[in-house]
Amino acid sequence: MGVRRVTLLSLAALVLVAVGAIGFGVANIAPLDVVAIIGKSLLGLPIGGEISAGSTSIVMEIRLPRILAAIAVGAALATSGVAFQSLLRNPLADPYVLGTSSGAALGAAIAFLLPITGIAWELGGVQLAAFVGALASVALVWRIAGIGSGEERIASVLLVGYAVASLLAAALSLVMLASGANLRAIFGFLLGGLDGVTWPRLAAAAVPIALATLLLARRGRALAAFLLGDEGATHLGIDVRRERRIAVALATLATASAVALAGLVGFVGLVVPHLARLAVGSDPRAVFPLSAIGGALLLLLADTVARTIGVPVGVITALIGAPFLLWLLHRARAGYAL
Amino acid sequence: MSANDTAPYELLGAKNLQVDLGGTTILRDVSLSIGPGERVAIVGPNGAGKTTLMRALSGAVPATSGEIILCSEPIQNLSRETIARSIAVVSSDITLPFATRVDELVALGRIPHGRGPAGPSAHDRERATAAIERVGASHLQRRDVRTLSAGERQLAAVALGLAQETPILALDEPTAHLDLRHRMEIADLLISLAGDETIMKTKRTIVAIFHELDIVRDGFSRVILIANGTIAADGTPAEVLTAERISNAWGIPLERAARL
Repeated sequence: MGVRRVTLLSLAALVLVAVGAIGFGVANIAPLDVVAIIGKSLLGLPIGGEISAGSTSIVMEIRLPRILAAIAVGAALATSGVAFQSLLRNPLADPYVLGTSSGAALGAAIAFLLPITGIAWELGGVQLAAFVGALASVALVWRIAGIGSGEERIASVLLVGYAVASLLAAALSLVMLASGANLRAIFGFLLGGLDGVTWPRLAAAAVPIALATLLLARRGRALAAFLLGDEGATHLGIDVRRERRIAVALATLATASAVALAGLVGFVGLVVPHLARLAVGSDPRAVFPLSAIGGALLLLLADTVARTIGVPVGVITALIGAPFLLWLLHRARAGYAL
Repeated sequence: MSANDTAPYELLGAKNLQVDLGGTTILRDVSLSIGPGERVAIVGPNGAGKTTLMRALSGAVPATSGEIILCSEPIQNLSRETIARSIAVVSSDITLPFATRVDELVALGRIPHGRGPAGPSAHDRERATAAIERVGASHLQRRDVRTLSAGERQLAAVALGLAQETPILALDEPTAHLDLRHRMEIADLLISLAGDETIMKTKRTIVAIFHELDIVRDGFSRVILIANGTIAADGTPAEVLTAERISNAWGIPLERAARL
């Protein structure tokens, strides 16, 4: 199957699953009714006479923002994964490789403890703190490893990322020990979840995610050239330092926005790019769009399971992702090229 | 000696080139000119500056002083992309982080000709297939590059350079790690590629770094000997590869150099 065909088919699957997922829940709503409600509410189409106000409110106020959030977060994590795996030329890189997750976790944990009140803070204080924490940790790794100065080595970027993440994790543990009654809330953020996503929170994360992802897709030629390493990419006409800076910045923006909205959802960004490569080969220009769709689909399915059985979505992605990662590693050891 | 004397146009040249890396002078007083359709072998001991010369000629490292001319333009006036459409540099060890088919790898050579975010176009794929055919590697097309033997991998690397469709094809030790037969095959291929096609109104030019002097004597009309960061000799193999020069450059006894 051609790249375009696989991509279009998975897009169609995503739309179908999304409609199904919106209808699925304690109050089941038929897929056609879901389409009618969305068509009526968003586009003002004159359809559906006998749809209850209750169904409309469930779809429009609870399920639709949550499903869109799952799509945005899944797409952001998977495409950031493609970017970091390509830039670092490392199959085990994920969106959190530069310390995004630890920075976000520490930021959120501190926000839970701050004695700030007020409506604006209640609406998005924790999310904002997570976003800032994620950006700050990447900035720190960036400075220490010298990304963009041309002096960086991939191993040192990975090691610096690991060291900074460990330091932040230690700080997080201290904050958690001191957190008392907030421990449960912090723990919930660490597990990742999409409970209580509202339209304003969705918009605040989805707009930067969409922007970063689209701009990153436009750097596809550079990401492809990075397969051959810095020297090879240079000989293919790529300004390696500039492109790396742009790609790291965009992927970090997408990841930080995703983490602010959904907490630490693991494995999507690591596993989905590999699945996409199995389907369309290694060129990031083909892997990128398919990963966006695949990441959205995976997180949407995982979140539907999560809300049905009442556990954080991060637990589900880890339950699916970790065995898959082990399987990939097993194949890598057996001689299959990851 | 150089085709530049008759042509109004300078394909590739260096004037009083000096390159310092990390505070150490790697190359100094390098002046040369390479014309359309030439086959040029660069030889010299390890650490003499051969690879740095190739990197400087393709703009991958900046000149500390002096000048590099590519397609009659000072190289600093050219964009990275324009340089990549003029000179392809093939590394002797291509390592890939993910499973990648030979045709996918070779299609990466089309990147300097690409536009927009989409992957290789139908035309790009066609050019990649033609390049794979030209090196005689059609049977490897769908193999994972990482499972290829050293010789097969080298063919794929040459195809990658050809797909870039540049008037100059530069290769850094294309015969490294190859056995006798594969070494000969690659050398014959490179020799046949010189001047076989006209790209950007220029006959294809081959510049390659070698360690095997027999290959150079057999098929290359011009040899540049680099020793201690500068050009020790530049001319035909018979002129350059004398026992005395070999003995001096590599620091080996004259009587043994005479047998090489």
